[in-house]
Amino acid sequence: MVGVGIWFATRHATFDDFFLAGRSLTTPLLITTLISTYYGIDVLFGDSQLGFTDGVVAWFGYARPTYAFFVIAAFLLAHRLREEDFRSLPDILEKYYGTKTRYVGAVASFIYSLPALSLYGFGMIGEVIMDWPPFLGMLILGGIALVYTLAGGFWAVALTDSIQFVMMCVVLAIATPFALNLIGGFDQMYLFLDPNYFEPMGDLSIWLIIIYASTGLTILVEPTFYQRIFAAKSYKNVRNALIAGIFIWGAYDWIITILAMAAKVGTLQGIIDPSVQPDAALLTIMVTALPAGVLGLFLAGVLSTEMSTLDSYCLVAGGNVAYDVYQPMTKKEVSDKQLINMTRYGIALSWVLGFAMALAFDQMLGLWVFMASILISSVTIPIIFGLYIKRFRKPMAGFLSAGLGLFSTIILNVLVMTKGVFVGEEETYVLQLGQWEIMQEYIMYFTIPISLIGFFIGLLIDKGKYYE
Amino acid sequence: MSNWELFTWISVIILGPGSILVFILFLRDLPALLRKTNKEIS
Repeated sequence: MVGVGIWFATRHATFDDFFLAGRSLTTPLLITTLISTYYGIDVLFGDSQLGFTDGVVAWFGYARPTYAFFVIAAFLLAHRLREEDFRSLPDILEKYYGTKTRYVGAVASFIYSLPALSLYGFGMIGEVIMDWPPFLGMLILGGIALVYTLAGGFWAVALTDSIQFVMMCVVLAIATPFALNLIGGFDQMYLFLDPNYFEPMGDLSIWLIIIYASTGLTILVEPTFYQRIFAAKSYKNVRNALIAGIFIWGAYDWIITILAMAAKVGTLQGIIDPSVQPDAALLTIMVTALPAGVLGLFLAGVLSTEMSTLDSYCLVAGGNVAYDVYQPMTKKEVSDKQLINMTRYGIALSWVLGFAMALAFDQMLGLWVFMASILISSVTIPIIFGLYIKRFRKPMAGFLSAGLGLFSTIILNVLVMTKGVFVGEEETYVLQLGQWEIMQEYIMYFTIPISLIGFFIGLLIDKGKYYE
Repeated sequence: MSNWELFTWISVIILGPGSILVFILFLRDLPALLRKTNKEIS
């Protein structure tokens, strides 16, 4: 992988080559890079955690709604985005609302793209596989992804993604028969598991299902997803890749759910330690079921899953620094070479900040909710309105919507994470306000309406013409 | 075979042979993609 990066290091004539692979990605390459980027170990262990505790609802309630957003993205969003010559998400905000909103969008995208979660995952993998202290796994495994991303840009990211894609998919396909064989097949699942495990909506509350489903909203403003749409050869390539991708994403989520349920059966049969933590269930059944060689392959697949996520987000964060902030701020001509070098500094900066955050924060899930809510709350409203309603493209509307969304998300998250308590059972921070309990995940129920209200106040205040 | 089981084996086929097929299609495109990068720097 480092070799791929070095090979591409001197092969960038323009910034478009470095950041968008010359806008030449074909359907198969888009499938591999979309899937491997969007699915990291947070999906691998997050889905499996819910599968282990609640059964098939992990697929029907948590994973399935996101496929609806992929369909929307394939037929509506991607088509609209390809009609104009954008390079990044903040580009859209500048075109419809001006430079100030571009900067707010760039800050939100940069924070969201910091690779803290991926680096934390590398620390965990290094500890499990090599018995390394977490910081060493983060440094060595995360460092490999950093080197090839710095050197090779998006070409290196996309090509290594394809290798990582096949690794992460094939190892799950190979692992399934081994895991089912370990517990005695599906018959044992029906015998040992509570019938609720096979209820598509399980016994989760409707509010939690709505929250899980709403996480799919990120797809509509995902910076790495946008980058791939802009990097595609044509709209048709994106559409075909997304349609094919939905089947692969669906299969991937289903297999993780089934493996987690198999792990639950294993604990009830006494094959697996009954005290195993739900988020460690998948790894535990793999260690128990797979022979040494296949286990090595599985762990390589887990590594691939995370490396392909880290490199893509670092590149987007680097682009935010160089293309979205540095270039418009300098107010003078910036050459492609300067822009590529500045992107490399941005990549390194995002990696260092992500490393510091992974070391500083104990609760990675809380950090993830914070980062995701910053992006969704600040850019979803202005991006969607800007793309589809011409009369709404007024600078004050975009700026107030993005600014208030960003500001309220930071304030509320800090409030919940400092004044609230971490509830282990719910795996989240909870703030008690009188008789109300506010979970950290609920923050978006406040911040998205704030962003929406800010947008309409801006529309009322701004008496100028709308942007074409 | 129950529906759950059938769904599982279909998923295994999509992830195993399916992902390998996508990778083969990618390899088929690779020479043209690499030629493009060579052309861009010359």
